[in-house]
Amino acid sequence: MSDAVGVRPGSPVSVLPAVRCVLAFGEADHRQVRLLGGKGAGLARLTAEGLPVPPGFIITTDACRGVMAEGAVPAGLLDEVLDHLATLERHTGKSFGSGPVPLLISVRSGAPVSMPGMMDTVLNLGLNRETAVAIAEASGDLRFMADVLVRFHRMYSEIVLGASGDVIAEAVGDLGDRVRSATDPGALYDELWALCQRAVDDDAGEEVPSDPRRQLSGAIEAVFRSWNNRRAVTYRDFHRIPHDLGTAVVVQSMVFGNLGRPSGSGVVFTRNPVTGDPQLYGEYLEGGQGEDVVAGTATPEPIASAGARLPELFGELRDRCLQLERSLGDVLDIEFTVERGRLYLLQVRSAKRTPEAAIRIAADLLREARVEAGDALSAVSAGQIRQLERPQFAEGSVAAARAQGRLLTTGVGAAPGQVSGTLVLDADRAAQRAAHGEAVILARPITSPVDLHGMIAACGILTATGGATSHAAVVARALAKPCVVGCGEARIEPDRGRLAVGGRVVEEGDPISLDGLSGDVFTGALPMTAPAASNPDLGFLLAAADGRSGCRILGRVTTAEHVTTVLERGATGVVTSVDDVLAATGHLDGLIESLLAQRELDSLDLSRVEAVIAEVFEPLLRAAGSAEVGIRAIDFKADESRELMQQTQLLTHYPQLSVPVGLPALLSAQFAGLSTAAARSGHAGPIHLAVRHVSDPREARALRDLGSPGGRVRIGTYLTSPRGALLSGGIAEVSDVVWLEVRVMQAAMFGIPARQLLTQHPLDEYVKRGLIDTDPRFAIDPTLHSLLAAVATAAAEHPGCEIGMRLSGPVSEEIAATLHGLGFRLFAVDGDEVRPARLAFGRV
Amino acid sequence: MDREAQPDLQVDVLPAPGADGVQLDRLHFEVLNSIVLKKMASAGSVSSATGVTLAEVDGAMRDLEQAGHIVLVGEQALAGDSAQGRVEEYAAECYAELRRDGEAVRLADQFEVVNRRFLDALALWHQVDVGGRKVTNDHGDPEYDAKVVTRVDRAVQQLCDILGALSRRDPRFERYARRLEVAMRRVDEGDTAYVSTPTVDSVHNVWFEFHEDLLRTMGRARRE
Repeated sequence: MSDAVGVRPGSPVSVLPAVRCVLAFGEADHRQVRLLGGKGAGLARLTAEGLPVPPGFIITTDACRGVMAEGAVPAGLLDEVLDHLATLERHTGKSFGSGPVPLLISVRSGAPVSMPGMMDTVLNLGLNRETAVAIAEASGDLRFMADVLVRFHRMYSEIVLGASGDVIAEAVGDLGDRVRSATDPGALYDELWALCQRAVDDDAGEEVPSDPRRQLSGAIEAVFRSWNNRRAVTYRDFHRIPHDLGTAVVVQSMVFGNLGRPSGSGVVFTRNPVTGDPQLYGEYLEGGQGEDVVAGTATPEPIASAGARLPELFGELRDRCLQLERSLGDVLDIEFTVERGRLYLLQVRSAKRTPEAAIRIAADLLREARVEAGDALSAVSAGQIRQLERPQFAEGSVAAARAQGRLLTTGVGAAPGQVSGTLVLDADRAAQRAAHGEAVILARPITSPVDLHGMIAACGILTATGGATSHAAVVARALAKPCVVGCGEARIEPDRGRLAVGGRVVEEGDPISLDGLSGDVFTGALPMTAPAASNPDLGFLLAAADGRSGCRILGRVTTAEHVTTVLERGATGVVTSVDDVLAATGHLDGLIESLLAQRELDSLDLSRVEAVIAEVFEPLLRAAGSAEVGIRAIDFKADESRELMQQTQLLTHYPQLSVPVGLPALLSAQFAGLSTAAARSGHAGPIHLAVRHVSDPREARALRDLGSPGGRVRIGTYLTSPRGALLSGGIAEVSDVVWLEVRVMQAAMFGIPARQLLTQHPLDEYVKRGLIDTDPRFAIDPTLHSLLAAVATAAAEHPGCEIGMRLSGPVSEEIAATLHGLGFRLFAVDGDEVRPARLAFGRV
Repeated sequence: MDREAQPDLQVDVLPAPGADGVQLDRLHFEVLNSIVLKKMASAGSVSSATGVTLAEVDGAMRDLEQAGHIVLVGEQALAGDSAQGRVEEYAAECYAELRRDGEAVRLADQFEVVNRRFLDALALWHQVDVGGRKVTNDHGDPEYDAKVVTRVDRAVQQLCDILGALSRRDPRFERYARRLEVAMRRVDEGDTAYVSTPTVDSVHNVWFEFHEDLLRTMGRARRE
């Protein structure tokens, strides 16, 4: 495959149409991403905005297509490239391949879509004996020349020739030693070049051309060749990206932060990417090259102190940063170099940031009116909010635990997150205990593949050995579980069922806590809170989201404490179910036993059920204050209660329970119990009891007759079938609230169990095989649209009835957008999805 | 494989539990070794990990259960307490020569170097550096991901070279290269779960298994 695009230097005159295939940054129209590729378009845009970008040119994707058509790089293209190179020499006052001030260039690939396998950057191209000596003389630094040379040789060998770069590093050995004993730059060049060439020849049977022009054509060919490399072709095949899209080649002049004074290199973020603080944040290395900053081989100074020394230069940098942030509407990460007092921007990217910073930045940009609310919300992802919903040790609890002497040991933090759980020292036992719902922290002396199932089951991982890049750390990070490795002073003894540090012993089964960032391990459990709860910026952003979406979002709860949490998350109300609340308060088994014990339907005594419901719902309703509460009636048919309750036995005993209004007495008991609870609790908001699987207006009418007319508890229906949706008009006419269970309805359209819409398997694989064209976990199936339209019509025709959509599992943005588009504004979501849902609807 | 077809197996190759000193044969070693590496495995996954046919794996599993080395729970085979010791014994005898083979030792040492590069690349896959702090990679930057996958791919190619050389000494190592190839192809198709997800036959899972297998083959101890 590597020769798919070969080069025939003596190939006949090009038959390409006479279009220009090479454009200087200043000539290119940055909107033509397809022609210029992503990187080329970015550089063209910066140049057009008058930003100081080192000059260069783009070989367009047209050229790539031409090369693919002809099977070779046409001579005409190389001539065009050399013309542009000459222009570049004039603009920079440097010369390619000769002194006194040599022009070095970088060559990189730049496809319109980023994909694997494409050629990486080759830096410092243009080196030969003459230019190397010139560089040594201009910089007065033999070490610099040697670095540039070895770096170039290594990159070219690895990226263009496909050799292993390590052989060069090994062949050269300690560059410092070689430089110290050298005096003449020419001799040093000869020595290093010969060493490098021999290493590559041994490894790949090829050599790096010493003629800079041949280096350039070789690198350009390599970019085009990489378009057809195995990995890129696989990716395009799979994603149906046309193979004739082609890649562009970006050629750019290099600038050096170690030539003359003042020179240097740095990285600057337009705002602090860790905290979001609106101050320039970054580092500058006087007399250093960009790679030195990135590689951390030298110690740079903070931007602020460099700015104090070089106010003019850094004033310009600050202006450029502000200009860019304004025009791009995002926080940026900018690599820059100062060469002889001139500022150059090398790379401008959207800055990566912590979730905390992402939220602060979006809130600030919105407050500063730099962006519209929709754009501010787009700068935050549901994933970032979910990260902030992950509980952490409560503020002050770490200090308190330390003060109590509970810090057991400190290892290496390998996967971030804070967690408390039961200490278990064996993978099998960890899996067993976790299967029973216990939060388990697995501690192992060393991890091997046989521990994988225990690590998957555990909520935190601790190992005595290993570093931040051990297999254990990899697994923990892949699972997003807090992990501490390398606790060298801990003796983890699975056979004795204990973990000992010095004289202190923790037995298997005892609670411990670990911090996967700091590496701290504490005895006992620590109190937890979600950082999202106390983040004012998140509150501000989500309020803006609510304003845009106009949605009411109810969160699912099972306990009174949970009600408080969910309302704090910004839910306008809560939803729950009678069976969930009975189960959580330990009353469900009693109810089932009592039902199974009774034989006569006519004399069914449900007074106890009514009393228990009144008792357990009272605190929950009190916690809700004046917020809306939706309660789903007991559903013994529910998918999720298959294991919890003796479903089969019960449904055999009472086949009536398989239909929504089959056992009216049970519904009456729930209405009555809830009315009592509502009265006693002082709850001031609306309450409804919704019955699942209603599919006929007559069922809804029967429900209305069961509830007390004009009573406190309103009548709700839950639609789970296509029939229910199609007849929703009639149902809405006699209901106060109608819910449609989106997941169950989607599953019904496909005829697969609804629980499979909450799991990875089997749909991940199934969708990938292309056997269904909608993934019902992430998108509304087109077949459901007509049913949803019927429900939307019902909503419009019956404004007295509220119609809401029940979503379960992580809220999919696409589903949110579809439902919002159909006009729905009332939603119920899982308790911990309230904030992500508010964001999703606000982004619509 | 029907037991009648192999009347000697029970008697000569697999002693009753508790007896020792009698070796596994090659087939039973491969199957047991694979089960020990996975702790729990179905015949299908052992077959695809080892390249041994399903029928042979089924037969071997029945024999191994009889000998008390594994327990069959439904479709899954679980390694018993004696299993690890038994494969270690087999490896010690069968690979005694390999362990003294300078080229094999060099390959195992070379693996340690490649392993380091691989794990370093995976650290970049999971976490990005944000102003000096490590933050979970949300895979929102395809360009960054593509660069990391290129490093992973390079390490995989280097391991495949090592596997090629090792499989000239024992052909079963070839199987790891095949599995890595499959996982890597899925990554290149964009299914990034196949980089390191522990619940699928991801690049890291295959790698981790090979690492363990190599340590056992060479009689070395895991350092981390």
